[in-house]
Amino acid sequence: MSLRRQAYEWRNLSDGGTTSFLNGYPVLWTNNANTVGFSANQPVDVFIGDIGNNIDIPGQLKAFQYIVLDAVAVFPPTLHAQIYVGTSRYFQDPDNVPSRDGGISGFAVPFPNGAGWVNSGGSIVNLINYDFTKGLMPPIIIEPGQVWGVEVTSSVNVASVVNTATEQQIQKCFVKYLLIDGADCLVAKRLLEAGWPLTVENIWAYKQDLFKTHLYAGLAPLPDKVEKATRKV
Amino acid sequence: MAIRKQIYTWELWGDGGDGTDITHYPRGGESHSIFYGSFGAVQAGQQTGLVKENEFVVIERIASKPGISPNSFIVTGVAPNRQLVSWLPNMFVNLIIDTTNYYQDPQNVYAVGISGLASPYPKQIGDEPYYELWPPVYVLPHQTLDVRYTLYNDITLSAGAGSWDVIPITTMMAAVYVEYTLYNGTDAMMAQKLMKLGIPVTVGSVENYRRMLLESKGLETDTFQHYLKLVQSEEEREKKERKNQGLARYTQYHSE
Repeated sequence: MSLRRQAYEWRNLSDGGTTSFLNGYPVLWTNNANTVGFSANQPVDVFIGDIGNNIDIPGQLKAFQYIVLDAVAVFPPTLHAQIYVGTSRYFQDPDNVPSRDGGISGFAVPFPNGAGWVNSGGSIVNLINYDFTKGLMPPIIIEPGQVWGVEVTSSVNVASVVNTATEQQIQKCFVKYLLIDGADCLVAKRLLEAGWPLTVENIWAYKQDLFKTHLYAGLAPLPDKVEKATRKV
Repeated sequence: MAIRKQIYTWELWGDGGDGTDITHYPRGGESHSIFYGSFGAVQAGQQTGLVKENEFVVIERIASKPGISPNSFIVTGVAPNRQLVSWLPNMFVNLIIDTTNYYQDPQNVYAVGISGLASPYPKQIGDEPYYELWPPVYVLPHQTLDVRYTLYNDITLSAGAGSWDVIPITTMMAAVYVEYTLYNGTDAMMAQKLMKLGIPVTVGSVENYRRMLLESKGLETDTFQHYLKLVQSEEEREKKERKNQGLARYTQYHSE
């Protein structure tokens, strides 16, 4: 399983005791669904931001791993997502400063795709992702050893909800990526060196060529230099 | 019927009670199998999925019932006959092959899987899938396959809130969908051959391989000539090698 399509999902839910829930999701039940609030324009790391479900350490790739990060999505539309790799941020404003809004908004990349959103008039609007149906093109390639993550920023204050959180009140962020590890990591490295896009199809094609070459190499005649070498006693 | 598109679904429906029966509803946060778990419509024999030696499985899609909040349910009727008609399970689903989980989180620790929001089933008009299982997952002969779900909304505890009186047997509480292609017999052998050559195993590639075999009764003429040439040159090379190493007898290389 060296090529795997992975997904990480963040929600600002807690178990009611602390603001974050480590390595999993809190168990909820009716009249016991709590969300954690945060201020407008306050970036929250979805991995280690201490709000909602978190993991212990930031996302960091091992020496034999590549990631092709191809989609990020958020809800509600007032939430924005920014991807960072090392100290660089992906989305920036025209003056070359990292996006002041906090990245791409939930209007462009709603989660789930087709999510119903109650607008200020009280009507439900189904938001569709049209522009990024294939994800980010080109995707972001994260190399071995690099630290990466996703931050969400709300353009409005997000209030905490005690016990009665509904679907509309839960802030969400979805990250999708292709994890390449093991022997396929070496193939990915060669493809990148040759300037090829890192896709499942290209990795397969490279491996096919590799198999073919080795198959023929095992049966091919030896070079003349070896064949015509003088006998050594 | 050597290549068959298969679908396996697991569903958990209401029991006609008030939702407090812990033998009918799984607890929140627990992981259970859709093949042999204790809840919902599982296989009668309660066995895990074992791929036989003459089979090859390619899993193409997994999905589950979407929705997060346990407060976004729908009830009809009035007390004491309030009926729960819609429920969001807040569920995730994972693939396990032998002892390896498919999904892991960014810190390289096993994760609970893909949520129903990202990959919904059953799909409604507004549901557009965000997640595709691409590349597909191959399950090889003698490997075991399990699909496990985890509900994070606890139905039994929710029943204690007293928001409904009955969960009718027509209310779907949770569901999982798995779509895969089953190759068996000679097609499974061809699928394995293609996999070893690094060629994607699809219905098209297996059928094409089969066509090639049938047309040339073994190999395409060009391919056959190619391999014949290679084998002949290899034989020649070995002969010379034995001669150079002093292993061949004079009768084998004459006066060369």
